[in-house]
Amino acid sequence: MSGRWKLLGAVLVAVLMAAGPAAAQQIEDELVLITPVSKFIHDAALKEFAQYAKEKWGITVKTNALAAGTPVAYGRIVEWKGKPEVDIFWGGESALFDKLAEQKLMAKLELPKEAWEAIPATIGKPKPIFLKDPKGFWVGTALEPYGLVYHPRLFQRLGIPEPKDWDDLLNPKLKGNVAQCAPTRSSSSHATYEVILQQSGDEKGWEWLKRLAANSGIFTARSRDVPSVVAKGEFAAGFAVPSYMAFEERLAGFDIKFVAPKTAWITPEPMGILAGAKHPKAARAFVEFLLTERGQRVFMERGLFPITPKYKVQGPPGSTAEMAVEFTGGVRSYFDREVTNIYDDDKAQKRYKEVNEQYRKDIEAVWEDLKKKY
Amino acid sequence: MAQTSADTVAVAAPTAGPRTSVVALLGFGFIWAFLILFLVYPLTRIFYDAFTNEAGQFTLVNFQEFFTDRFYLRSLWHSILLGVGTVVTTSVIGIVVAFLLIRYEFPFRNLFSYLTLIPIISPPLVGVLGFVFILGRAGTVNVLLMDYFDLLKPINFMYGLHGVLLVETLHLFPMITLNILDALAKVDPSLEEAAESVGARGWRKTWDITLPLTTPGYISGALLVFIWTFADFVTPLVLGVHDLLASQAYLNIVQFVDRRLFRMGIVISALLVLLAIVFLLAARHYVAIKDYSSLAYSKVERRRLGPVKRWLTVGFLGLLMFASFIPHIGVTLAAFGKGWSLTPFPVQYTLAFFERVSVETPKFILNTFLYSGLAVVVCILVGVPMAWVLARTQAPGKDLLDAMTTLILAIPGTAIGIAYIRAFHFPLPGIGVPLTSMWIILPLVLAVRRLPYTVRGSFSSLLLVHKSLEEAAGSVGATKLRTFWDVTLPLVWKGILVGSLFSFMTSIQEASATLFLTLGGWEMIPVGIFTFYIAGSQSEAAALGFILIVVAALSLLVINRVAGTRMGGMFG
Repeated sequence: MSGRWKLLGAVLVAVLMAAGPAAAQQIEDELVLITPVSKFIHDAALKEFAQYAKEKWGITVKTNALAAGTPVAYGRIVEWKGKPEVDIFWGGESALFDKLAEQKLMAKLELPKEAWEAIPATIGKPKPIFLKDPKGFWVGTALEPYGLVYHPRLFQRLGIPEPKDWDDLLNPKLKGNVAQCAPTRSSSSHATYEVILQQSGDEKGWEWLKRLAANSGIFTARSRDVPSVVAKGEFAAGFAVPSYMAFEERLAGFDIKFVAPKTAWITPEPMGILAGAKHPKAARAFVEFLLTERGQRVFMERGLFPITPKYKVQGPPGSTAEMAVEFTGGVRSYFDREVTNIYDDDKAQKRYKEVNEQYRKDIEAVWEDLKKKY
Repeated sequence: MAQTSADTVAVAAPTAGPRTSVVALLGFGFIWAFLILFLVYPLTRIFYDAFTNEAGQFTLVNFQEFFTDRFYLRSLWHSILLGVGTVVTTSVIGIVVAFLLIRYEFPFRNLFSYLTLIPIISPPLVGVLGFVFILGRAGTVNVLLMDYFDLLKPINFMYGLHGVLLVETLHLFPMITLNILDALAKVDPSLEEAAESVGARGWRKTWDITLPLTTPGYISGALLVFIWTFADFVTPLVLGVHDLLASQAYLNIVQFVDRRLFRMGIVISALLVLLAIVFLLAARHYVAIKDYSSLAYSKVERRRLGPVKRWLTVGFLGLLMFASFIPHIGVTLAAFGKGWSLTPFPVQYTLAFFERVSVETPKFILNTFLYSGLAVVVCILVGVPMAWVLARTQAPGKDLLDAMTTLILAIPGTAIGIAYIRAFHFPLPGIGVPLTSMWIILPLVLAVRRLPYTVRGSFSSLLLVHKSLEEAAGSVGATKLRTFWDVTLPLVWKGILVGSLFSFMTSIQEASATLFLTLGGWEMIPVGIFTFYIAGSQSEAAALGFILIVVAALSLLVINRVAGTRMGGMFG
């Protein structure tokens, strides 16, 4: 008996949920994001959403995005103390979303069950990468690896083969030609440094990082600058994330390539709604929209990979989608391949400051000496 | 002019004393309220942050940490070194250019005197990028050298302190030139003639007579160059130099995750302000608002140069100008070029970037004109009365008022931006919304930053109008309004216009103060440049930079037409 009632309840809820948006639910006519995801991606997503909202509810949504690196975005949200100037935080590492949720600065997403369950809980072995928050505060929107960008023509000029793995950056012929960003300045670079440290162990890992610094010609202010200087040919290679960094350069006509080494970490580009957001309904509608096929297509056409196994990156020859596949070395979906992940985010977050501090002391402060030593 | 109307002064009946003084008092109160609310209060707020810990208790630990950290100390040392280095290089170039322009006659002299102003225009960020596009490792020069002269490794012109020095020198030497021009033009030729009559000629004369007379102008220019270099964080960051104070302040603040580093960023900002005040006090005799009463410039006899010297001069100035225009050339090429990499010049050209930053997203340009326009209105509302107080009254606290306007010139923009965030992020009583959530904060901060130019411009022209002229008009029955309209305005509008235009021209280029205060939708061109650059779209950033250069160059052209070379007093 009670089982039946439960079932009926569940059906009712499901019906209400499905009917909700179409009938009763009206969304606010404004939506603001804060995000490290590139303008190229977030502009397109917002534009597509605005059109969707117009078709669905007849509402003209005024959308806006505050572009900020992940740490800056995080810091501003903390600074707003629950009275945020924006509705949604999007992109970067999911650990920061967990931290915000702990501080009660995130609101639960409460997405429709179907959309939620279409996303696998994790990806990768031996360390699984979470694609959605078990507590329900954030959800992944798209996948992409933290890998390497390089300038093929410059590699040719230097007479060395194109890089495939992290170690290729240590080639002595690349001396002065690597661009990098300190882990204090970029959470995505930080994650890649951690991949190295966790892969080779502390002692060898730090030695590796010192050698990399010795090979570097510049420490950029932000990780986003790395693909910019590589695209221009100022430097030959460096760490990067394809969509919100490097693919855009490719589209802008620059001759630049991306490769994800086997142990490269993959981000789910998490998205969450801030507690106290001024436009919670529009925010929720936006998150839901991005998980639909139409939303996912916005990403797939721009160098990102779908968050669910339901879709694959595909397009007519010469399309942006196919360019993206070529750019990232033939990947169409991360769900039809073996994904190796050795990066332990918990470990990384716990010693975040210590790693930064050590990097600052042992590498940044003595950079000139390192260049002479190696 | 003043003498001819002098005898009417006695006749002029003093008009309605008490009422004027009420109005004057209100105006005076308004000026001070504005300055206290929007300058003094926010600045005290960052000092409060610098001297307290997270719990809000007084502490000196922050400064102890700074002065025991070797990296920070090295940053301080490098900043001072760079500042002094830039003063030396800009002085050598700036003084030579000033002497050439004012003392000698040679072809294209007028053109050069306008062109020397242009380097002051340097759109934030893309200006440096422009240098990198031409002189970087893959810049035009290196590519040409490698392709045609078999150079194996690119020459490192840019990355490192020497690159910062190069950029700052070519950007800032006009500050010295303008101040020296201003001072030189005021040197009474009779003094020099007197020197010659007792046998002092050439270098001797220059050393003993001319230089001492131009010292005040020079010092104020040099101070500005020093502080500007000291506070610039964008140039070093693009060039990969992080061990400078301003860079450290910026980097520590924009990484919000580590609260301790964040506080250190504020501490360094406070230190920058503190040091700026110290330098200002050290040079206070020279940088106070100048006595423009001799604005009627003495006519200088320009010496004609012999053919060889003449063309050497033209060659030198031409080369210098060419070097100074490197950023502008680089920005222009990048704005129109597509996929420009490892070739001397772009191979493909497009207008797509302009379309994207103007037609598709017009907000950058619209916001720039709206906010800068409003800022200029505020500058005029506050600045002109301020200039009037300084020029016409013996009001108490006048010196302090003068000191405040000078202080504004010296305070790093980032420090003001941070101060505003810290000071105005609370719900305003009655509205319930913090000032930081309202776009009006941008015009306000711009107005405060650029107020000194309007004040100085207006001040100089008010001094030109002798009071007796207005009184004469009053004595023949003209009402106050009529007097203002018919007598005062025609005489002072030029100064106010030049001052306001200067405020405008510098407002549209402001990024450091607005960067931290801008919320989505409020982006002006400079912040737009940052946004595009952060998003990795250097070409769009360059397109915005190009628009900025054009608008600023037009403003300067008008300023130059109206004011001639007498702009030096604006800066120092």
